[in-house]
Order: sequence, then C-alpha cells, then structure tokens
Amino acid sequence: MRLLRSAFAVLQKDLRLELRSRVGINSLILFVFTSLFIAFFGISQQPVGPRVEAALLWIVVLFAAAIGMGRTFVAEEEQQTSLLLKLNASPLAIYLGKLTFNFILLAVVNLLATGVFIVLLNKTVADPVTLLGVVLAGSLALAGSTTLLSALIVHAGGVGLLPVLMFPLLLPLMGALVNATRISLSIPPMGVPTGVLGENLTTIVAFAGVTITASVLLFDQVWQD
Amino acid sequence: MISTRRYRLIRNSVFVWMTVVITAGFLMSIPKIDILEHTARNLYFHVPMWFTMMAAAIVSVFHSIRHLRKRDIESDLRAAEAARVALLFGFMGITTGVVWAKVTWYQGTSVWWNFDPRQTSVAIELMVYSAYFVLRSSFEDSELRGRISAAYNVFAFTTMPFLLYVLPRQLDSLHPGAEGNPAFSEITDPRMRLVFYPAIIGFMGLFWILYTQRVRYRLLKNSVENRYLNDNS
Repeated sequence: MRLLRSAFAVLQKDLRLELRSRVGINSLILFVFTSLFIAFFGISQQPVGPRVEAALLWIVVLFAAAIGMGRTFVAEEEQQTSLLLKLNASPLAIYLGKLTFNFILLAVVNLLATGVFIVLLNKTVADPVTLLGVVLAGSLALAGSTTLLSALIVHAGGVGLLPVLMFPLLLPLMGALVNATRISLSIPPMGVPTGVLGENLTTIVAFAGVTITASVLLFDQVWQD
Repeated sequence: MISTRRYRLIRNSVFVWMTVVITAGFLMSIPKIDILEHTARNLYFHVPMWFTMMAAAIVSVFHSIRHLRKRDIESDLRAAEAARVALLFGFMGITTGVVWAKVTWYQGTSVWWNFDPRQTSVAIELMVYSAYFVLRSSFEDSELRGRISAAYNVFAFTTMPFLLYVLPRQLDSLHPGAEGNPAFSEITDPRMRLVFYPAIIGFMGLFWILYTQRVRYRLLKNSVENRYLNDNS
C-alpha cells in the first residue's frame, strides 16, 4: 500500500509539473503532427499500401517516444531534484510512478497521432475498438521499454543516446504494431481477435510484460548511487 | 586460474584443431546437393560462428548479472570482452551468411539483403552490442560504467526471445530451420557431420582463447593503470 501511495505521489508530481508548463506534451504533439504532415505530404502524390501508411505512423511515434521519454530522468538531474526523490521514495515506487506518467504521456500523443493519421489519409476505420487497443497496448510497450533506458542515459552524455539504445530492441514490437494497426484499419471485427491479429496483439502485450518485468528487477541497480 | 603451461597446451591444441578443421572443410569430399553444390562447405564455418556468437552472448550476460551482484571490475571486463568477441563472431557469421545467401537464395538476382528473420535478428544483435559499446564509452567513472552497461546488457538480453521466436512468425524465411525445412536432420550426410561437429568444438575453443586473452590483457592493463595512479597520488 505504501508503495502504491508513493508511486502515485511521484506520478502526481510529474503530472502537476507537466500541466504547469505543458512544455513536454506540447512539443511532443507538435512534433508528431508536423512529422506526420511532412511524411504524408511526401507520399501524397501517389497512393501507397496500408502497410506503408501504418509503418510511417509508427516510425513517427517511435521517434516521438525517443525524444519525449529521454527527458524522464534527465529532467530530475537538471533540476537537481533526483537526490530528493531518492530520499523520499523507494526505487520501485519511482519506477512505477515514472512508468505510469510516461504511459499517459505516450497514450495521449499516440491517440492524437492516430487521429491525425485517420484525418490526413481519409481513413475509414473498420475496427475502432481494436485500433484503440493496439494504440494503448503499443503505448504501454513503448513506455515499458523506454523508461528504464531513460534512466540509463542520465549519466551517459544525455538524451542523444536513447535512440541508439532503444531502436534495436524495439524491432519485434515495430513489426507487430504495424501489422495489428493495418489489420484493425481494414478488416471489420470478428469477435475475439484471432489469427494474425491475435498473434500480433499477444506480441505487443508480451513485449510490454517482459520489458516492464525486467525493468522492475533492474531499476534498483540503475537508480541507486 | 589455470597454470600457464596448461593454458598454452589448450591454446596450441585449439590452433592445431582449427587448422585440421579448416583443411578438412575445404578438401574432404561432400555429397553433391542441387543449388548448394560446394557452397555447402560453408556449413562448417557459418553455423559454428552463429553458435559461438550465442555462446559469447550468454557468457556476456552471465558476467553482467554477476557484476550487478558483486560490483567487481573483473566481471564487468569479462562481460565487455565476451560481448566484443560476440560482435566479432556475429560479424563473421553475417558476412558468410550474406555471401552464402547471395549465391544460393538470390542466385541470378541482384538481391543481397531481403529482411529474412534470421538475417534481421543477427543484424539487430550486432546493433545491440554496438550500442552497448557506445554506452560504455560514454562514461568516465568505471563503477558507473560497469553498473549501467551491465543493466543494459541484461535488459537487451531479455528481449532476445522476441528475435528468436516471434520475428520468424512475422516474416517468411528461406533460412533452414524454418517450418518443414530443418537446418540439420537425419538426412544430413555422415561425411558432413564428421567435419561439422569438430568445427563447432574448434570455434568454441577459438572463442575461449580470444576471450581469455582479451580478459588477461584488460586485467593487466587495469592493474598497471592503478599502480601508476597510486604512485602519482
């Protein structure tokens, strides 16, 4: 209980800071919007397949995550609040709080990105519920895999290192996200997702599970001094 | 620690063993297989390189976990050097693989690379270990370097099952080992087994030599540096 309460306190602190300045969320939203606009402008003269469109969407989201998530712990270091954080909460509580904050941030950004994607490409979504599930599960998997990595780079020359560390690890996730998005855009729902869609959804959720479990086990080692 | 004499004995026998394996690999007769023809000899080199890379990766992550528990310099150096050798064998494996694929799978086309799941996953492994070394080089402090890079190594290793088991289901593969196309089976000619199994042992031995040499070098360098620093302070 105490763990959850202090994790919630960390989340509350981050949310309050973010709502006060809104610099993180605004720059991320603008980044996603402008880069999707540029990407789809680039391919607007000639129709491309749904797979390419879905891949472009997730590439933009991946880059947005690489930019947005890198600040998670670097910001604490810059504001010189990390020592205070260490004194007041256990590593696990800090990790859970930060993970939840990153998940909320990414979910908001990804939902907006998907909306922009649907409007710009005049999509009719065949299976909105599954698409929502894919975007939320994708946000969780992205947050799960980047939160620990963003703690690794605090003392390692800063935010620029995060893409190098995270992109190779995210390749299996990328394939599953692109496939699941493509299917939920074009094929109407048929009860419980099975077949290729089910496999890809399982991959996304399993990826989130594995990375979050590994992060919980490793965060202690990374965060202590 | 084994004695220097025994170490040299093992080292020299690995050198002799590898010489015999390479000679036999090129000279011994092999069955005539369509398409593969004499490129089938690459089985003796390409496949053991891949096995050795996996072994080196496991050694590396083992020492990273040990470092997180014990925080000693030696296991950090061991993890780094095993990763370096894994990078070397992975690079050799992907090179022999790409050339092999060029003259068999992609015979008569201009294709070199086609995102085959095996090729993709080994390329990702190389990127992960390269990132590991970039991460290592960004620290001044050796305690911090050891701790953070060990955490990255372990974290990257936990996503390996996705590369090995999930990726092949997302992409179609020409690589042996996919469904209905076993990499190695009871129909494999016994003459090829005669060289293939010793080749695995030889490459593992080569890994062990390279790895222990590098670790010895790094430990010596470390102690010399420490002595120098102590003398000057």
